[in-house]
Amino acid sequence: MDGVNPEVARIFAAKEGRRQTLARLPFPEKVRAIIKLQEMAATILRARGKSVRPWRIVGIDTDDSLGKS
Amino acid sequence: MQVLNELEQEGLLSRYAIGGAMGATFYTEPFLTFDLDVFIVLPRTVAGLLTLAPLYDALRARGYTEENECVLIEGVPVQFLPAYNFLVEEALNQAREIVYEDVPARVLRSEHLIAIFLQTGRSKDRDRVRILREQAQLDMNFLADILRRHQLEEE
Repeated sequence: MDGVNPEVARIFAAKEGRRQTLARLPFPEKVRAIIKLQEMAATILRARGKSVRPWRIVGIDTDDSLGKS
Repeated sequence: MQVLNELEQEGLLSRYAIGGAMGATFYTEPFLTFDLDVFIVLPRTVAGLLTLAPLYDALRARGYTEENECVLIEGVPVQFLPAYNFLVEEALNQAREIVYEDVPARVLRSEHLIAIFLQTGRSKDRDRVRILREQAQLDMNFLADILRRHQLEEE
């Protein structure tokens, strides 16, 4: 990557690798991740006056959905 | 998914498949979305009309409520989108059969999702096209054929 510090290039490569890993997750795991994203985004969106509600799906617990590899 | 299958079995819709951000997420990293887009083929009434009314009536009878343009089904706002052109009809006919938590379901093929996103053309749709191209395993010949037949090559 021209003009980019090698350390930053390594970080970018790692980020891209994580995105590819997320893309290969089983679909139910992706659904859990989306609900976690909704919960994270809801606070910000509500502060902007938007009415949003994270999904509440019976049997899906999002507490452990992200941050695991 | 179970509710969608029941609606199909009861003839309230002829066929369904998941599209939109959730459909794309089947092939890519998860996208933030707050609703579930479900493309549907509606059965024709005796008068030859296509209407969502019987579907909405059946959902209301099950206790599900309407929320803006969606119906809240088991905690998820579902937006039903009747097939509105030849591209969407084709996408529905060729949708992939999947199994989600032991329940069969259907999701649009990644190549059709790209074509639909290109046709819709919003900025977030173009982002989804880019991510699908980066992360999904695409049949490039199949995609090229879809784009050519639906005049989307310039997009």
